[in-house]
Amino acid sequence: MWQYTLKRLLQGVITVWFIATATFLAMHNVPGDPLSGERAMSASIRANLEARYGLDKSLTQQYFIYIGNFLKGDFGVSFAQENRQVNDIIREHFPVSATLGILAVIFAALGGVLWGALTALYRNRLPDTIIMFLVILGISVPSFVFAALGQLTLVNLNAFFGVSFLPVAGWGTVSHMLLPALVLGMGTMAYLTRLMRSSMLEIIHSDYVRTAKAKGLPPARIFTRHQLRNAILPVITVLGPAIAAITTGGFVVELVFAIPGLGRYFVQAVQQLDYTVIMGTTVFYGAFLVFMVIVVDLLYGWIDPRVRLQ
Amino acid sequence: MTTKLLEVKDLQVEFDTYGGIVKAVRGVDFAVQAGKTLAIVGESGCGKSVTVQAMMGLIPMPPGRIMGGSARLRGTDILGRKMIEGREVRGAEIGMIFQDPMSSLNPTMTIGDQIAEPLQVHRGYGQKKAYARAIELLGLVRIPEAARRATQYPFEFSGGMLQRAMIAMAISCNPTILIADEPTTALDVTIQAQILDLLKSLQAETGMAIILITHDLGVVARMADEVAVMYAGKIVEFGTTDDVFYRPSHPYTLGLKQAMPTNHRDAVQKLMPIEGSPPDMFSPPVGCAYAARCPHAMTVCEARQPPAFAVTVQHYSCCWLQHSQVPHKAAGIFYGGGHD
Amino acid sequence: MTNPVLISSGANSEALAVADFAPIAHRPDIHGISRPSRSYWQDAWIRLKKNRRAMVSLWLIVGLLAFAVIGPLLWQVDPARQDIDQISQAPGADRSARIVAPYEFWGGQAFSGFGEGSGLRTGAEANSQAVRLIWDAVPGAGGYRLYRNIFPIDDEMAFGLPIAEFPNASAGFYEDRLNLRPDTYYYSLVVLDANGGLTSDYQVLEVPVHRVITVDEVRERSLVPATVALATGDEVFLALHPLGTDYLGRDMLARLMSGARVSLFIGIVAPFLYVLLGVAYGATAGFLGGKVDQVMMRFADFVVALPFLLFMILFQVVFGIGPGESGILPMLVALVVLAWPATARLVRGQILQIRQEAYVSASRLLGAKSGYLVWRHMIPNTMGVILVTLTFAVPSAIFTEAFLSFIGMGVAPPTASWGSMSNEGLATMLTHPHELIFPSLFISITVLAFNLLGDGLRDALDARMRSFE
Repeated sequence: MWQYTLKRLLQGVITVWFIATATFLAMHNVPGDPLSGERAMSASIRANLEARYGLDKSLTQQYFIYIGNFLKGDFGVSFAQENRQVNDIIREHFPVSATLGILAVIFAALGGVLWGALTALYRNRLPDTIIMFLVILGISVPSFVFAALGQLTLVNLNAFFGVSFLPVAGWGTVSHMLLPALVLGMGTMAYLTRLMRSSMLEIIHSDYVRTAKAKGLPPARIFTRHQLRNAILPVITVLGPAIAAITTGGFVVELVFAIPGLGRYFVQAVQQLDYTVIMGTTVFYGAFLVFMVIVVDLLYGWIDPRVRLQ
Repeated sequence: MTTKLLEVKDLQVEFDTYGGIVKAVRGVDFAVQAGKTLAIVGESGCGKSVTVQAMMGLIPMPPGRIMGGSARLRGTDILGRKMIEGREVRGAEIGMIFQDPMSSLNPTMTIGDQIAEPLQVHRGYGQKKAYARAIELLGLVRIPEAARRATQYPFEFSGGMLQRAMIAMAISCNPTILIADEPTTALDVTIQAQILDLLKSLQAETGMAIILITHDLGVVARMADEVAVMYAGKIVEFGTTDDVFYRPSHPYTLGLKQAMPTNHRDAVQKLMPIEGSPPDMFSPPVGCAYAARCPHAMTVCEARQPPAFAVTVQHYSCCWLQHSQVPHKAAGIFYGGGHD
Repeated sequence: MTNPVLISSGANSEALAVADFAPIAHRPDIHGISRPSRSYWQDAWIRLKKNRRAMVSLWLIVGLLAFAVIGPLLWQVDPARQDIDQISQAPGADRSARIVAPYEFWGGQAFSGFGEGSGLRTGAEANSQAVRLIWDAVPGAGGYRLYRNIFPIDDEMAFGLPIAEFPNASAGFYEDRLNLRPDTYYYSLVVLDANGGLTSDYQVLEVPVHRVITVDEVRERSLVPATVALATGDEVFLALHPLGTDYLGRDMLARLMSGARVSLFIGIVAPFLYVLLGVAYGATAGFLGGKVDQVMMRFADFVVALPFLLFMILFQVVFGIGPGESGILPMLVALVVLAWPATARLVRGQILQIRQEAYVSASRLLGAKSGYLVWRHMIPNTMGVILVTLTFAVPSAIFTEAFLSFIGMGVAPPTASWGSMSNEGLATMLTHPHELIFPSLFISITVLAFNLLGDGLRDALDARMRSFE
């Protein structure tokens, strides 16, 4: 298991390096250069800035400086906001995105497992039909529509009852987080529900559940000891990609709900062509996602003895 | 005459499928005697597994449906019931093992925990006590290093070892009947013999009755006291093992015997396959289901279901050839060892 | 031994005729297979046809394609043309306009029949040309500020848009010509104190505004044939917009059609290309095996690890969308470059599995060459999986397009796509929900149809998967 963990971590590091390189190459192919903005500047200032950002050096030299800085954990200074470190920007905005993301993932995972198990147990009966209809909707409706509809409903609810149940937008308190997290997790929850349902149905018909019945175990015990644990395994395997989808999907939700997260900042940086912020954020997100996938894989290994003991 | 422990009468089971209703079991009668082994023999799809699973309430309903009949354990019908005389039927009164031990055990639970489960549920044992008993049981089914093995997961066991563990689990609450549904089909031949021997010696020790479902006449010869031959959802011949093997009284049994390889040195007889395939169970034939494949079929066979004809006191056959009016030539097939 | 129906063979309970014992023919094949033999694809098609949801989806998709391809031929309205008379017009809204005389300067005199009473009131008929307000002096006022709102003034006293301020206390008038649309407006006149600060004294006037148009405007926009004579007071109909207009007065139906072309083009062509690339890559890796396979799949792993949406955005930046470009091509390329590895992995797995199959070994033993094996065994046996992947790739590509366009990183204006239309609709969601609802409805229906068709195809093509769904 330790060997496996180490191997996975090493793979992760190489993957992050690949992401960093790909980001570097991509950004250096952007047409135009970052200093040719609206502001006219004298040749001397320009040369000064170029030297400062290393833009006068060759691509290879720039690449090594860039990688070297990453290794030191230094993502550089924002182009658009002269005196802001990219690190500071990430430090300030990422916790917001992460909180929102974690809440959404918890919501999606718990909801997915619960609804999936429920629909499987009530297969082809009314609860199954209703939930699976909602699931199909959840998969087919884009998150921004959920966000807009959620906001609209909330505005109307608040207006109708004359009470502010939840704030419509903004950030700060738990009540600010609930609706955006719900909206953000919706699509993933629908997907996980489907997965859990088919996994659960497969297990309900499995030989070992038949054995458990033949042993005369009460249904509740069969459900908790034999069905649930095994049915969750496939759900866990897709949790890594699901976290990735939720984290990057957060951009839209952050935009709609005016949440000061890293996603919204990233979109803004792209619009301003703020090179260092774009590169720093991309590599940071990439590293974060790679790390999350590894964590989920290890978690899976820990839960499934077939992986753990081999 | 020995006591009847379990008596199944007129059991009928149907399944709803996309193609229509499948009549899988069409009125099955048999009895099991305490401490004895009954083998139910037949080819795949004849309804032998469905019969015992229906008794155990293991048929998913829907699509399955028990249409009628009874299964009386010491006089109490167990169909659709969980408890009799304060004891759970499944796991406590009747233990069961299945064909494929690889998939019949929970992959994410240790063997010890799985064996301890019925003890905790039916006997009210604490976790520690149940686990300790599970280790004893593993020793009883002759698994070496039982204590260490108990902590392992199914994927760490071989097929034969898993089947032993399944047996330990099935007998953990001292059941009066053990149902073994094709217990050796998925195993190597050498392991098969070991498992059968184990079942026999456990039976000798505990006095439980065994219902053995198999399609292997070799297994039947080795294990069974009585044999029920099943075809197309009905029992076509019933008798002691000797009766059925040496005095088969139904053309299907005869066909099965001729299709079985023997190890007699002087055997000159060729293996004779039974031609054709079993009938469509969506609409079973009006008469004898075997008539179309039977080399001795008569007009009456197609028109009417044969009743059970007693051959001797404990031996009966559902075949019109047993009728007293049958011309001598036709009736003679069973005594000339086949074709005359 | 007591068995239920036990008839001793010695004693007949029932006599049978001799004829009953006549031997009959031995027909072992009577229970044989009588069903006609069908090919895999025929069988799959029959199964798919039985799946009502999948068939409805298939027809929906055909309908959507027709909407995108044939629609613009039937509804020939330029999606970029702005109808300034009808901005953010809801579908089915009143299109009538009354002809009035051209605008003339107003000096604050109430017209006959107007201006009666006291307080804030209209001095003339309120129409989309002008809203003319007059009010009496408020004793002690230091001045007035006039607001306009499209919502009634609630307890929170949100007066809306401040449109004018008057520094003296005398009675006044104001002519509002700012962007008037046929709607109900709420004008609020707030009394200011001597220092110009707001007081709590205010009056509200609800003004329904009627749409009017001048003869010249009618002629200019060719709303009626040139031969028809027009006079003040006549009713004319403005241009028809069956699904309303957006915030720039562009026809929603025409935009939805041209948006359908963009969204469906990206949604169908991109998956087709990257599934093709993935199949080629995966099949090569799987078939060659060994070191080549390892290196190829490791590279695919890296590409999978790239944060998809971030790199989609990066690529959009890298390709740079110049003036006059739609941004469709960069998105297509970015999708193909980033999305192929999933298919490659799947196909490789399938190929590796099929390579192990006995029928491939048998074919090999009979002397089949590699090309034949791939063509005859590997491709046909992975076709089903590939088709299902393709069907499920479409909704995800449509989602990606919508997502990028929604955050402003997709197609460039004025090109319409369902995603960019949703983005624009979001701003006016509260007042003109149709601008958001229509494009998002189209996205949802399309994605739904492809998902259900994918489910149906998977069930039809793979009986094993079918058992539990």
